[in-house]
Amino acid sequence: MRRHVQAALLLLTGSAVLHISVLSQVYLRYVKEGLRPFLVASAVLLLLLGVVGAVRDGLPFAPRRTAGEETDDERTADGQAADDERTADEHQHAHGHGRGHGHGHDSGPRVAWLLFLPVLALLLYAPPALGSYTAARETDNAVARVAEFDPLPEADPAPLALSGFIARVQQDRDRSLAGRTVLMTGFVTPAKDRAGTWYLTRLVVSCCAADSRSLRVRVHGAPAPPADTWVTVTGTWHPGGGGALGTATAPVAIDARTVRRVEEPVNPYQDTTPLLP
Amino acid sequence: MNRAAPAGERPPGAIPPSVAVTGAVSLLLVAVLAAPLLDHPGFRAWQTVCVALTVQALPFLLFGTVVSGAVNAFVPARVFSRVLPRNPALAVPVAGAAGVVLPGCECASVPVAGSLIRRGVTPAAAFAFLLSAPAVNPVVLVSTAVAFPGQPAMVAARLVASLATAATMGWLWLKWGRAEWLRMPARHTGHRAGHSRWEEFRTGFQHDFLHAGGFLVVGAMAAACFNVLVPRSVLDVFADSPWLSVLFLAALAVVLAVCSEADAFVAASLTGFSPTARLTFMVVGPMVDVKLIALQAGTFGRAFAVRFSAATAVVAVAAACLTGWWLL
Repeated sequence: MRRHVQAALLLLTGSAVLHISVLSQVYLRYVKEGLRPFLVASAVLLLLLGVVGAVRDGLPFAPRRTAGEETDDERTADGQAADDERTADEHQHAHGHGRGHGHGHDSGPRVAWLLFLPVLALLLYAPPALGSYTAARETDNAVARVAEFDPLPEADPAPLALSGFIARVQQDRDRSLAGRTVLMTGFVTPAKDRAGTWYLTRLVVSCCAADSRSLRVRVHGAPAPPADTWVTVTGTWHPGGGGALGTATAPVAIDARTVRRVEEPVNPYQDTTPLLP
Repeated sequence: MNRAAPAGERPPGAIPPSVAVTGAVSLLLVAVLAAPLLDHPGFRAWQTVCVALTVQALPFLLFGTVVSGAVNAFVPARVFSRVLPRNPALAVPVAGAAGVVLPGCECASVPVAGSLIRRGVTPAAAFAFLLSAPAVNPVVLVSTAVAFPGQPAMVAARLVASLATAATMGWLWLKWGRAEWLRMPARHTGHRAGHSRWEEFRTGFQHDFLHAGGFLVVGAMAAACFNVLVPRSVLDVFADSPWLSVLFLAALAVVLAVCSEADAFVAASLTGFSPTARLTFMVVGPMVDVKLIALQAGTFGRAFAVRFSAATAVVAVAAACLTGWWLL
């Protein structure tokens, strides 16, 4: 990859990272919130490097052949880089052959062309957040052990995060959910195993989307909205087909009273307690 | 590239029309053939995971390349010969323990280890550093403690098993490693008189970053394939057998390529597995995974990456089992 293409690639990469982390919240589809300062710093660094590179080496369609070239000529002892073959990987070839260096041809920075793929994807269409396809393929509900439960919020219906609901169903010996109506938000994942039900789902992420885990609550008594729709569901715990409320085998399910469509939250991977309407 | 083309006929960097036309036609063909596939939810998830892995690793890769570029341009070689013990067998554990200071994930340590070797550090010591840095740094240990609340033994076991693996691999390299497996790009001979240090830093940094970045994309694509194709429900099949579960979680760590700062949370979520199996997941993950193998192949050569990763995987599983049996 030639120097001026490298400069352009650095500039594009920097703009893509800037685009997802500063100009929009798109980065939350891919990584955790805490990574934002690092992304911004990376974007600034890349743009800076790209600008210096562009000034020194030019850009595609406007390459420079003045100042930068002389240092390069001088740098190559055998004077081989007098023509436009003056990129970093060519230096590597020139030196490499002398030392029986065999892999330079296919693994020089030519591999850097691949960086254009994610960079252009981010700039042009930004792949959507993970959804029901991923959730349907994951294992069930790993919820941390809760030592002690706060009383359920006074409001009726009581707003709960999915993890809070699941923990209360399976661990709360005081049965705080008994007889209460709760309100939860998530996206729709179709349930293939039992007709007439579907899952209210969240994916939670600890670092990036590759380590997502799913939280699912089976919804009874309401027709399934299309997959991946974000909805707010109110209802009561659904007994039947498992252990009693507050035991590990209690079914994680809800009898829906209302199902309302909502906007996808800005941070799709954060299992937050929904705000009351 | 196009060495045969006479210089001056067209501006350097201009694409010959024939190539441009062929490229455009093949792109169009691929687009038409792939259009139905593009809509498949699995492919969309693949793109998201692939982009996510790249975005997540980018700051750490940049950090690693900045450090390696700075080491290369500003730190004289004699510093390392002074700090590290002369005896390579002693230098290995010292370098392994020094991994504690690099607060990054595995993407940062590969370029740094590469620059250490270029600066004359004995490869065995650099490899011990390469393996231990992403596994035992404070950020990773703290996230492990957060993911396993009330189980300090897990943090200790991770530290011990990771250091043991790193040192063992360094010693193994001293005993059986061959220099000809290492094929490092013959650049970066440190600072040369008469050249601007900053310009050397910039060009070295740019080259290293783009090079590693390309391999990062290769690794992210591979990891995304496994991530999307392997349903997690497979996990339950292996959870019951103690030996299979250890090997299975080791293999899972390799193919999922979760960042070392997050793998403790993934391990904590694998509730059906024994503590030793989960420890194996956390010891193998930062040292061997598909993303890392791609990065190592780019930095040290393919012959090295394959042998080294295979040996590391075996040593890491053994170390994790022994430590798990001892501490957990």
